[in-house]
Amino acid sequence: MKRVLGRLGHAAFVLWAVASLTFIMFRLMPGDPTLNFLSESFSEEMRAALLTSFGLDKPLPEQYVLYLGSLLRGDLGVSFLQKKPVLDILLDALPNTVALTVTALVVAYAFGIIAGAFLAFARGSVTEGIAIPAALITRAAPEFWLGMILLAWLSFAWGIFPSSGANEAGSEFTSEWARLTSADFLWHLTLPALTLALYLQGLPLLLMRATMLEVLNDEFIVMARMKGLSRWAIVMRHAARNALLPVATAFALGLGSSFGGNVVIETVFSWPGLGRVLVSAVQGADYPLAQGAFILIAAVLVTMNMVADLLYAWLDPRVSVGARR
Amino acid sequence: MPGAKAVWRFLRSQPFALVGIGIYALFIVLAIFADQIATHDPRQILFSGAYRVARYLPPSATHYLGTTAGGRDIFSQLVHGTRSALTVGVTAAFCVVVLGSLMGLLAGYLGGWVDRIIMRVSDIVLGLPFLPFILVISALTRPGTTTLVASVALLLWPNTARVIRSQVLSLRERGWVEAARVTGCSPMRIIFVHIAPQVAPLAALYGSIAVGWAILTEASASFLGFGDPAAISWGLMLQDAFANQALSREAWNWFIPPGLCIVALVLAGFLVSRGSEKLLFPKLGD
Amino acid sequence: MAALLSVRDLAVHYATAAGPVRAVDGANFDVPAGSIVGLVGESGCGKSTLGRALMGVMPRSASIPAGSAVFEGRDLVALSAKERKELLWRRLSFVPQTAMNALDPVQRVGAQLMEVLTERGGLSRQAAAERAAALFGLVGLDARRLRDWPHQFSGGMRQRASIALALALEPALMIADEPVTALDVIVQRQILDVMKELQARLGLAMILVTHDVAVVAYACDRVVVMYAGRVVESGPVRAVLEAPLHPYTMGLMNAFPDLDRAGGELVPIEGSPPSLLNPPAGCRFAARCPFAVARCADDPPLVAESPDHHAACWRVSEATELRPKAAQAATWASVVA
Repeated sequence: MKRVLGRLGHAAFVLWAVASLTFIMFRLMPGDPTLNFLSESFSEEMRAALLTSFGLDKPLPEQYVLYLGSLLRGDLGVSFLQKKPVLDILLDALPNTVALTVTALVVAYAFGIIAGAFLAFARGSVTEGIAIPAALITRAAPEFWLGMILLAWLSFAWGIFPSSGANEAGSEFTSEWARLTSADFLWHLTLPALTLALYLQGLPLLLMRATMLEVLNDEFIVMARMKGLSRWAIVMRHAARNALLPVATAFALGLGSSFGGNVVIETVFSWPGLGRVLVSAVQGADYPLAQGAFILIAAVLVTMNMVADLLYAWLDPRVSVGARR
Repeated sequence: MPGAKAVWRFLRSQPFALVGIGIYALFIVLAIFADQIATHDPRQILFSGAYRVARYLPPSATHYLGTTAGGRDIFSQLVHGTRSALTVGVTAAFCVVVLGSLMGLLAGYLGGWVDRIIMRVSDIVLGLPFLPFILVISALTRPGTTTLVASVALLLWPNTARVIRSQVLSLRERGWVEAARVTGCSPMRIIFVHIAPQVAPLAALYGSIAVGWAILTEASASFLGFGDPAAISWGLMLQDAFANQALSREAWNWFIPPGLCIVALVLAGFLVSRGSEKLLFPKLGD
Repeated sequence: MAALLSVRDLAVHYATAAGPVRAVDGANFDVPAGSIVGLVGESGCGKSTLGRALMGVMPRSASIPAGSAVFEGRDLVALSAKERKELLWRRLSFVPQTAMNALDPVQRVGAQLMEVLTERGGLSRQAAAERAAALFGLVGLDARRLRDWPHQFSGGMRQRASIALALALEPALMIADEPVTALDVIVQRQILDVMKELQARLGLAMILVTHDVAVVAYACDRVVVMYAGRVVESGPVRAVLEAPLHPYTMGLMNAFPDLDRAGGELVPIEGSPPSLLNPPAGCRFAARCPFAVARCADDPPLVAESPDHHAACWRVSEATELRPKAAQAATWASVVA
């Protein structure tokens, strides 16, 4: 409990620091944030009125206090370009990003864990000779390039999957949940999720293989064999359970980092998620929106870093349960 | 540090590392002799016949990999792209290693409040989403290679610093460091003359991984339109191809080669680091 | 006298790039039912390999090219994997060195005991829980600590838990590999006492692999001395330790603090055992032996000096004269080439 509170405090500190850094980045950088937003025909009074409405006329320290206050209230401001609350725009995009990230990660880790464990037993085989370089290549390939190949191949050449978007244009749904579970959505999700999974699977595969090899040499595995336990019990109950510790941590970390790393995949597949919101906001100099998207992505990252730490401690009794004599 | 002979004997026993070094060598040659190897000026808009821009040409004897939508020679762009990839990769890796080692050495040796501050800062940096941060920085300043290299270095140093720090923590308790302290060596002298050479191999290992990260980041940033627009890079080539319907036109000759080059160069970094990992930490492998 | 275990000419090789390493190269000894046999020698003499080879659980590079180990009438070397699995832990169990990792770090100690009892012993969960508590009582642990994780145990407690595990299915033979090496002297004695007491109470036989002559003297009925993959001397503990026949055994006695002869000078045996990749011809100890003669270039056979006391040395008959010389440090110092 003390550990959880300590870790929460740490996460809160990092979040505050990231939020402050974001504030500095967006205010102190060269260029007038209103320039892109205002057309030439605006009069000086109109410009001043706009600045006031966004709070940009106040001195920086005051702006900073106001900024932190509204962040705490969950108020991320209003988009320059869309004239809608930033939070609403982000919340619209969020389910798409969550669906993409979680699907891809689950597929990647399910595959990577099984294949990695299998490879640990196939040392020195031809399969290993092919699988390890293949895993390294998918780790070395830019994810958007993998996406381009799959798009050109499965969408444009063979016409199996749609090439962009999350839903067929003009389709309507009774609820957000109905949309996310519709066949149409899943159909659109397949290709981007597959690309992301292809890019992500290398890490759990290599990690699982390495830790499995290490664990299999441990004395307690030798002991399990001496006890005459079944192969299943040795591999699943003793080896895999130990080897999964670092992989589970990597999963939590991966959830946080691919949340923001989805930026490229979402662009390739025109997937209406957070990453694309961020890219178009940055390109259009829509500072409130870009700032909000950045902070949200950072918050998820910091939270998942914390979850990874706590998860590891919770899964490993050597960390969670203190020694007693 | 192992001697030259040991390194050579090791390389022969490590085909992975040898392949990695071979790939590096190939790209370095390409980068140096880019002007001689390229068949055309990579920026020049080419014409075929009477004032018709030579766009979307398939591979041929004159254009080994065909031409782009803008009528430029893909092979020549690819060859020249090697330069920016290597420049970005190597300078970024160098910055990461220098910054990371410096922070790790200071935090590990000095301890106390220096250590606490450096570790806190590294916590904050690890809380910054990698690519979004680079996009925002590129958008707020002038997009270009320098910005990119600087932001990669700013984001990647904590990993190196943490490893170096823990290494230093164990080194500082060794007898010879104690001896240097007793004989009145200044802390800076101990750090940079006595300890730094010991952790250099470890830093180099992290450097070879950072090369790959930097190249991938440059490609992603360029693809999203936040690269140096004046440069000729593989990432920009891919962005150009993507934006000009290379996919729907099934112009494989346009978007496959740059990606393969990125894979090869990043892979080379992985292979070398896997190999050098075995050289530096023989206990890990068998 | 029908031995519980009869090892004959047993060899264990490790395949390496440079050729086979002959870790055990023709071992001969018996383990009578209900006795504790010490298997003693310097590190790298093949004693641990031998213990693990008897269990049949070895690294992939290891093989048994020759010999037999007849246990309860069946040759362990010739068993099929399935037959061996039937035998393991039910008739033949193992106590590992006190390393943290001998117990699975992410499973409670009790769960690891229950696993063996239910899956190998066929007990119901209820019966297994009762038996687990009883086993903990047997080795002097509080049954409440069944719910602890391995890292919450001290080294001595972990060793007790390992012994409880090994006793779970009431085996006929328990092989203990350096069971007390990592422990401090007081705990060493406690653990050895537990083992001796249980052995007497349950009537099982034990092989106690150790490098420590003092442990052998304290706990064992019989001793088998190994050197460079070979058995050089074997017999009842009293006979072997009080009147050693082989110069190596004499040297080993000097190199360890004796339980009775406290205050005696410790004399190390100079040099190190030969490479097992290309072991020298003839007596393997000759290079380090202060009493080596020309004849030692031939392999000495393991002969019975008395019906129950064997040694492999050409000068066995002179042992009585050699013993006083072997007790002097100067004798050993002269060997260093």
